Amino acid sequence: MENSYKLTDELNLLDPTTARLYHDEFDDLVLEIAGRDPERGILVVRCFPISAGDRFIALCTRKEKELGIVEDLAALDPDSRNALADALARAYFRPQITAVYAITEEHHIPRWQVDTDRGPRTFEIRSSRRDIRVLSQGRVLIRDADGNQYEIPNYRRLDVDSRALVEDQV
Amino acid sequence: MSEANTDTDPILPLATDLPAEALALLPPEETIRLSITTDIKLDGLYGPAWLLATDQRLLAFSPDGGGPPDIVNLALAEIESLEIQDLYGSGALKARTQTTGQTIALFSKTLNAKFAPLPEALEKLIRQAQPIDDDKKILRGRLDRAYLKRRCEHCGQVIPRRMGVCPSCLESSKLLNRFLAYSLPYWPLAVTSLAILLIGTFIGLTPPLLLRTLIDNVLSPAATGASNAISLPLLGPTSASGALAYLVLGLLLINVSRNILGAVRSYLLARLGEQITFDMRRQVYRHLHRLSLNFYNDRDTGRIMASVTHDVGRLQDFLSDGLQETIRNILTILIICSLLFYLNAGLAVYVLLPTPLIVLVTIHFGKRLHRIYTPLWRRWAGISALLADVIPGVRVVKAFAQEHREVEKFESRSEDLLQGELRAARTRSLFSPLMSFLTSLGTLIIWWVGGNKVLGQSMSLGEFVAFTGYMWQFYGPVESLCRLNHRFQRAATSAERVFEVLDSQPDVDDAPDAKQLPSINGRVEFRNVSFAYEPGTPVIENLSFTVEPGEMIGLAGHSGAGKSTLINLICRFYEIDEGSILVDGHDIREVQLRSLRDQVGVVLQEPFLFNGSVADNIAYGKPEATLNEIIAAAMAANAHDFICGLPDGYDSIVGERAVRLSGGERQRLSIARAILRDPRVLILDEATASMDTETEAQIQEALARLVKGRTTFAIAHRLSTLRNADRLFIIEKGRLEEMGTHNELVALDGIYARLVHMQTEMSRIRAL
Repeated sequence: MENSYKLTDELNLLDPTTARLYHDEFDDLVLEIAGRDPERGILVVRCFPISAGDRFIALCTRKEKELGIVEDLAALDPDSRNALADALARAYFRPQITAVYAITEEHHIPRWQVDTDRGPRTFEIRSSRRDIRVLSQGRVLIRDADGNQYEIPNYRRLDVDSRALVEDQV
Repeated sequence: MSEANTDTDPILPLATDLPAEALALLPPEETIRLSITTDIKLDGLYGPAWLLATDQRLLAFSPDGGGPPDIVNLALAEIESLEIQDLYGSGALKARTQTTGQTIALFSKTLNAKFAPLPEALEKLIRQAQPIDDDKKILRGRLDRAYLKRRCEHCGQVIPRRMGVCPSCLESSKLLNRFLAYSLPYWPLAVTSLAILLIGTFIGLTPPLLLRTLIDNVLSPAATGASNAISLPLLGPTSASGALAYLVLGLLLINVSRNILGAVRSYLLARLGEQITFDMRRQVYRHLHRLSLNFYNDRDTGRIMASVTHDVGRLQDFLSDGLQETIRNILTILIICSLLFYLNAGLAVYVLLPTPLIVLVTIHFGKRLHRIYTPLWRRWAGISALLADVIPGVRVVKAFAQEHREVEKFESRSEDLLQGELRAARTRSLFSPLMSFLTSLGTLIIWWVGGNKVLGQSMSLGEFVAFTGYMWQFYGPVESLCRLNHRFQRAATSAERVFEVLDSQPDVDDAPDAKQLPSINGRVEFRNVSFAYEPGTPVIENLSFTVEPGEMIGLAGHSGAGKSTLINLICRFYEIDEGSILVDGHDIREVQLRSLRDQVGVVLQEPFLFNGSVADNIAYGKPEATLNEIIAAAMAANAHDFICGLPDGYDSIVGERAVRLSGGERQRLSIARAILRDPRVLILDEATASMDTETEAQIQEALARLVKGRTTFAIAHRLSTLRNADRLFIIEKGRLEEMGTHNELVALDGIYARLVHMQTEMSRIRAL
């Protein structure tokens, strides 16, 4: 039997050498592929928002039709890369926790007082079991009671006090 | 707030913390109509930032107010559109003019509830500031509302997942009072039990006193040879053996009466508890059936079931066990304290010394154990979740040969659990030795201080022994009172949940002057009906149509277009916001619900069969139906043949735990159920979805009989099933977009024609 079907052909990858991304005067992301009309108002979706945030980024129209996937952010030309990174940072607001000052519990609701790369913040967690996700290498993802997300890149690298507080919770 | 509000009142509550330097940017003649504080600045850092609007402009700024790029100043007259963006970790508000677009506010999801009404408020101002066509849409996007219910509506406190009620708004004492009010009808029972409890406790505490008398008045004198000094308090001088006999008899009487009283008391209190919870359970269940569908949509089924079973049960446990134990403990402590002071005040003070220590240690350990057990429970739950996941999926595990991986996963979690359990065991095994050491401190003190007193003749030997006896009975109740708070808290939570159900009012209820709906012909009319499940997101908008008696209407349109909502409104499962729905000229809000639903029959996509026989299920809507009628209905529904093939025929038990019927068979039973009821208005909600072609044909045939002569609304995704319809209604975003026969609509070449085209394509693909 002739082996004509290749699974990876299903991928709709964008050629990083011909695709250009930038923000227009409406502050919308625009995708330009050589020889085609530019697509405005692009939405960016990470295929692996947790395990590989800078790879496999789907670009979609407002009506959620996928135009193609950027396999690796780093392969784009510098301007496009910055534009895409900027759009991703805006769409995925997930501050990184740099220190934990206190975790107090009232009525079984832990309230975290932390410092993040975006400034100090206090938030509450509804259920430590469901809303705190511990990944490999000490990486911790936290979703607070309102659906905001936070990340600890490696809780074992936090200062001693912060680390003790986090360890009590995970 | 009135619509014609064009003066200078704020539209939404104003922010109170606007910085002065920012306000200085406003021309003095403009007043603030709207302002809001957000928690993410435009540069993406946390911190307060503000958005405000006057009648002329929109301003956004960060705290320093320092100027670009963190300051936005837009004239309302130039704004073309506003977009609210629900992003993955935050939200954003973006404004566009003819030539530019920019983000004017960033906010965390914590503020979703606060930002939700903002776009509409801004829209109002924009429309005032410039002439825009009413039909032109300014707003785009929507916020996810799922998170809004996670905080208490009153105080903003996060509601724990398992509780479902706000713990800080919970007023334990008020709730428990309300709960205790349920015992009022049984007050004789309650008073008797309390009296018996009181007497029983008192009697139970007398043996050490007897012991004192035995030692001081009988044994000591006899041992020292002073037999003539033997006398009992009430009897006077007597012989040693006679006194002994009296005391033994006394102790016997005390023990017998104490145990009899105990038995009576525990029965009476149990009876009181059972009666009250019976009343409560009945009331809750009745009330549940009065409530509208809205109540059920907002809560999960498990939670509702738990309030009838688990919560009411917990209240009963609290009433018959917790409350009585508390009263008994308090009584015991009070009585022992007064006895100790009566016996020897000086020594009593010493005995009470370790009490604060015991209270502290108990509370401390309680907290510590809770801290250790919470993660432990989490690990247990993790193991159960793993099992619940893998065991049902065992076919997949085997097919992909992944047994070793599943075993490893289980073992590593099991290992975690073991470590946690060992940690808990260490704490636990520390607790009881520590407690018994603390209690023995009391004994040490009595031995030393009391012993000295006895030696110094200031205390009798009998008193000394009685003291020791009381002390042993004293610390137990103290310890258990320390754990009381937890118990009260749990009972209060349960009470809150039960009362939440009882306090909910049905949205749809009979008007006080509702009259019986007479037998109808089946003319259904919608007049400018609008409806929204959530305020602000209308599902049905200004819908008007008339359906003549006996007409069959096919409802088609994309999922989420409002078809199911429309039929929910005909059944009056929800109250419409505007307009009116008339059945044979009667407004459905003015007739009794029951009389309306009696004349409406429903066949749903997933027919629900109750546990019971086939016959019971067919006759569910008409329990008085004769066997003739039941068989006739089954025949009309093409169900008779397969029913006769079941082992017990019409007596076969169906339902969740009995004979497994196929989807088509269940559907035919539910059609028989509808036929038997003989409704004038019939609703078929996707009645033939997910059936194979042959089954569908059988059901179609049955439905054709059912539909005859009745006003019918049929929803179907597969348009071929609607070919018998007299008219088709195409619903799109809550509006009636197209109406007519199949041929008319195909000729119109609109939405319907497109749908038909797409489905023919689909069936061609399937046929390949």
